[in-house]
Amino acid sequence: MAFIDARTLPADSRIEADLIIIGGGMAGITIARQFAGGTVKVAILEGGGRDLNDAAQDLYDGAGATVHAPDNADRPLDDYPRNSRARVLGGSGMVWGGKCRPLDAADFAKRDWIPHSGWPMSRQDLQPFYDRACDLLEIPRFDGTDAKDPDRPMLEIGADFIAAPVVFTKYSGGVDEAAFERFRTAFADVPNIAVYLHANVTRIGLSKAGDRVEQVDIACLDGPRHTARAGRYILAAGGIENARLLLASNDVRPEGVGNRHDLVGRFFQGHVTYSVDETAQVEGSALYLTAGKPMGRYLNPDRRGAHSVIASALPGQQRLAAGNFTVTLYPSAPPGPKVGARGEETVAVGQLAQRLDGAPAVLAGCFLMAEHFPNPDSRITLAPERDALGMPRVKLDWTYSAADLDGLERTAAHFGDTLGAAAKGRFCWPAEREELIALSSASRHHMGTTRMHADPRQGVVDPDGRVHGLDNLHIAGSSVFPTSGIANPTLTLLALAVRMSDHLKPQLGAAR
Amino acid sequence: MTAIARRDLLAALAALGAMAPGLARAADPSPLWAGSVPPGALRIGQAWLADHPGLDAAALARRLAPDGWSSATLEKLRLRVATDFRQGRVFRYRGWRLSDTEGALFALTALSPS
Repeated sequence: MAFIDARTLPADSRIEADLIIIGGGMAGITIARQFAGGTVKVAILEGGGRDLNDAAQDLYDGAGATVHAPDNADRPLDDYPRNSRARVLGGSGMVWGGKCRPLDAADFAKRDWIPHSGWPMSRQDLQPFYDRACDLLEIPRFDGTDAKDPDRPMLEIGADFIAAPVVFTKYSGGVDEAAFERFRTAFADVPNIAVYLHANVTRIGLSKAGDRVEQVDIACLDGPRHTARAGRYILAAGGIENARLLLASNDVRPEGVGNRHDLVGRFFQGHVTYSVDETAQVEGSALYLTAGKPMGRYLNPDRRGAHSVIASALPGQQRLAAGNFTVTLYPSAPPGPKVGARGEETVAVGQLAQRLDGAPAVLAGCFLMAEHFPNPDSRITLAPERDALGMPRVKLDWTYSAADLDGLERTAAHFGDTLGAAAKGRFCWPAEREELIALSSASRHHMGTTRMHADPRQGVVDPDGRVHGLDNLHIAGSSVFPTSGIANPTLTLLALAVRMSDHLKPQLGAAR
Repeated sequence: MTAIARRDLLAALAALGAMAPGLARAADPSPLWAGSVPPGALRIGQAWLADHPGLDAAALARRLAPDGWSSATLEKLRLRVATDFRQGRVFRYRGWRLSDTEGALFALTALSPS
């Protein structure tokens, strides 16, 4: 069936399928691929086209986005709802850098010091699906093999910090356009899959009883409107758009779809990197490594071979009442002796560390990441403003608690102390608490807005991704993550998509 | 007294070099800082001293090497550095997280005549 431009269909067309997937991004495509060539008729409804364009992207404009954190000035990020997404076939995969990393085992744990933490599954439970997601992306599985690479030894500084492996796939628009083009199109070259482009879903229509989805409404920009019906629906439109569509579909239930307990849009979690640029006077975020062995595992600009970031492990998180934390290293030129105050001081620190630790000191730049704790006040809401299709725009209040900043500061300090105590280096982190938000850089990772929990009072979807209280609506993507860890979410959302497909196949009469 | 401290420090750091192949040789006391003292070391030392008013070179030498400078001093300093980090005795200088013992070594360098 391949691709159909919804703008060319007669007005008021009705699309029918066994399974409708709202959103043709990484999650939606991955689920469709699981059904490709089978008997289940699948329709993907993608709001964008094959190429990015401004008119489609305008639909992502928000009505304000602000980062809030104690001791820090509010930081406006009004362009974030637009610029952190891609309304196009392939979704954010079009602009993804291809970085793959599973969540750590600790990320799945119920951590008493982090309210609302804990997944209804363990890393071990998800491992077979991570493996299949890795196969899909043609990357090595995360089975520990990389840890044995003799040419890429690990930095061993105790049990509180581990080497968390990272792999890069070619299947991303930011890495290999031709490969990604195949990824986002070839799956549909089978009779049972149809991909409708420029098909913007504007309403999820519930039955009068509000217990199942009966149809979805579709609008094309400056074009016709349609409807689509199926036995089952999967909402896979992204971490912001999933919440937006559920909240905006409020004709049957005033609170929106799946929102009986006022959870949809709450618990927004994002990833940011924290780094400090060097100045003439002050070194930036950096460290000296005096490990006495090659550090190519961490300083790996060509992204080949074993590659890791330094991550905090569960015992340290617990002791520090902190969440996950990573240090990502990158090569840095050694400061010359005549580059002024900063360079001279950095040289002095390195020379003394070298003598005390007994190994050459290698300077590396670094940035930090710290887990954003689940927070009901960090949320997406609907604004009065509307887009060209009449959909309310979103307002984002990206909110940190004092515990978030405390955890970052404590873990950064502990990392520096651990590195020094192990005689493996020294750490430079010239950031003050009140400037953390100003110096952070936001990623395109949107998580938590339709969180997963077995208890409907604590989660929008159940552990299988089905919306509580609805028979036939599932949600895929990072919006279901209860906690966000630090790992780039794509690999995990693909693993969950594969898992959901396995769950749905018997219900749809398909072989697993 | 200051000159003695300087000589002792040279010897101690030369011993450090002896422990690290490829670095300064123990017989050569001059490469205290792999050559001349980096100007940055003096500024770091002065900053540490600003937090510890009243300390002079002799007091620092007693603190860093209470048994006098010897080839064993390096290992003792390493242990002190590790203990400092483990027990939170940390000196922050423009973002660098250093042990208090390292701060004192920088300070002794700053107090010693060139």
